[in-house]
Amino acid sequence: MSDFDAIDSLLASLTPQPALPEAEARRDLRERAGLSKAQVARTLGVSPSTVTGWETGRDPSGELRAKYAYLLDGLAARFASPTSPASPVSSAPLASPDSAAAGEAAAPGPAGAQSTTPQPTDPTPDSTPSPTLSPDSTPSPATGGDGDDVAALAVPEPCVLCGRPARHQVAGFPQHLDAAQCTAPNAPPAEPPVPTVPAELPSSRTTAPAHPAPGTRAAPPAQPAPGPQPAPGVQAGAGVRTGAGARRRRTVPVVEASPDPVAAAVAEALTRHEGDVEAATAALLKRAIPDAMALLDDCRKGGRYAVVAHPWIPDVLRKQSARGADQIWEARPKWTRPELPEGRHEVTALDINGAYLSALKTHLPLGQLEHTVGDVHDRRRAGVHLITPPEWEHGAYLPNPIGNRDEPGPLWVTEPTLRLLLRLSGPKYALCEPPEIHESFTSGATENLLEKFRVVLKDARDRALADGDEVTLEYVKAMYSKFVSTMGESNYNRELYRPDWMHLIRSQAFANLWVKALKAHDSGLAVVRVMGTDELHVVGDWRRVFPEGRGVAEVKVKDVYSVGAAPETPAAAGDADEN
Amino acid sequence: MPQHTIEFGKFGAQGVKGHEAVARQLDALADFIASPVTTRRGLMARLHYLTRTPHARAAAREAGLTVTDRTLRAWLAGARNPTPHNLVRIDTAYRTVRRHNIARYLLARLNRRGRGTRVEIHPLDQSGVRPPHQRFVEFRTLNVRRWEAIVDAWAAGDDQALDDAWTDQIIDLGSQWGQYEYVTNIGFAA
Repeated sequence: MSDFDAIDSLLASLTPQPALPEAEARRDLRERAGLSKAQVARTLGVSPSTVTGWETGRDPSGELRAKYAYLLDGLAARFASPTSPASPVSSAPLASPDSAAAGEAAAPGPAGAQSTTPQPTDPTPDSTPSPTLSPDSTPSPATGGDGDDVAALAVPEPCVLCGRPARHQVAGFPQHLDAAQCTAPNAPPAEPPVPTVPAELPSSRTTAPAHPAPGTRAAPPAQPAPGPQPAPGVQAGAGVRTGAGARRRRTVPVVEASPDPVAAAVAEALTRHEGDVEAATAALLKRAIPDAMALLDDCRKGGRYAVVAHPWIPDVLRKQSARGADQIWEARPKWTRPELPEGRHEVTALDINGAYLSALKTHLPLGQLEHTVGDVHDRRRAGVHLITPPEWEHGAYLPNPIGNRDEPGPLWVTEPTLRLLLRLSGPKYALCEPPEIHESFTSGATENLLEKFRVVLKDARDRALADGDEVTLEYVKAMYSKFVSTMGESNYNRELYRPDWMHLIRSQAFANLWVKALKAHDSGLAVVRVMGTDELHVVGDWRRVFPEGRGVAEVKVKDVYSVGAAPETPAAAGDADEN
Repeated sequence: MPQHTIEFGKFGAQGVKGHEAVARQLDALADFIASPVTTRRGLMARLHYLTRTPHARAAAREAGLTVTDRTLRAWLAGARNPTPHNLVRIDTAYRTVRRHNIARYLLARLNRRGRGTRVEIHPLDQSGVRPPHQRFVEFRTLNVRRWEAIVDAWAAGDDQALDDAWTDQIIDLGSQWGQYEYVTNIGFAA
């Protein structure tokens, strides 16, 4: 590895030489920051006299020059304007000329040691670019050279054994060399705090990350010390970097800080219609599609994937005529149990709440669909597939997952149906043979494309249910259902032209319903009917299987009826529901 | 211009010229009568559209439907049927008049008071190109603010003018705009 590091440093030295300010300006910057030459020298791994040379006209070269330029850049960014506060340094004791002299007196040991070794090449890639060793913590090569692959760490890292900051690593794993330090969880860290870390350096690295100093790459975020009371030195070491992480976290709520658009729209409609609930609801239903599209745009801000609204669409997804259908089979269930056991049965018709809302979470193809041939399924892609479905032998008590298809032969199904079939053919269920895929139109897929959109609507729905707010409930329902039904070739929504998504979302709703039927069957309930998007008729104590309520994870009772008392129960079941 | 493709498809790429895709999308937005002119329903719908007012009749005549009023009346009454040649002329005249009629409104919707419309440009299909010759051409979007030249050329049925107007727009894609001279699809809403 050290060979490659040496090559790296050689390559780094070939990069164009960064520009340095004038010699006086360098000194000026350093003094304005209140840094001593010794501090700078230790940080850069040179002797203080070298720094003096740099400040009187000599120029460093190679990686040292890059580091020095980076330091001066950071200092200039902080102290260029004379009105700025003199020192934002948090905990580092400021160096007066006296302490600079003291530091100079203390420095020669490590500085000399480092100048003999190719230290700037920085053998551990995860250590910070500046070797911030205080003089007393500098390990002599003898302590680490006991035959094992022991190396000293510039910055304490969590011990792999106890999690406390450790100063050494063995074969690449940070750990304590002394067992006493390792086992005592509340023992003070092995090393005293590092007093001479110039706090500007790491933080300026976060403010000016564009500087490609070779050593600054790939500093992994340090885990915070898990100990109950981290010693101050630990906080100084890790606090800088977790500060950067905190800054990254803080930017997230700024993106999400927009007020709830659903509540805002409802409030505005109610005000405009002076509290007339019916008029407000009608007005909201009218604007549900453009509002859903605006919400979608809003939810994709800062997202990883853009919504591609008008891709090329293969012929299988095009309608054959103006009022015709395309060739996609959505696997809509329509199944009634052929016969029930004899006797009279109490059948409960359950209604799945917000089926299409939940189905917005599905693997959606992102871009243009690409054609492939052959019996392969890539889990990272989604689309439509021409398959030969397997035989289904459980029709007596469970519906066929591809719905009641009358025609034999291959058919175009969507990703959720195919995934359901593949799952059921797997070793866990082993309910059927795997389907045979002939050809596919797929694209790279993600499940999270509409996730934020779904969560916003679901939250609004939950709030509306808790408040008994029927207006919001109707509005949210119109938003998601019309969004799904018009995202294809509809003239009511021309912003989005994705018939593939429409089919996939619908199929996902059907697949979700099928899985609920399987769950009921596995829990000992008798499934009597599976219909449409959200209808599940069962016999038995369903309350121990499905929670009752109006949330999306709950079911609602639509009807309770009795069948049986005669052998021809299925006809009775059918008639009883066909009211 | 140096960016123009000289020999498109030499290495197996597939696509259509950008302005053809634009015209296709504008036609899709124009909502022509769906029934084909060869059906009685489609024929009658077109004839009614072309003969409803004297203004429409004049426009139809200008668009190439140069038959006598007597013939038109016979067609409308079902006493006679147009010859196949005249069916083509009826359809062409219908499309021309319809494009011309809706151009104003389409233009207003596309310009959106100066905010323009976001256009998706889906790059050409390289699946038939051998891998060493394939190039990375990414999906691009472009906000087109001024649609006047495009819609005018489309309504007039002037391919060359439409090509020029569209090229004027995609130059804004930057130095690689030549890669988007041929595309698989161009999508926008109105």
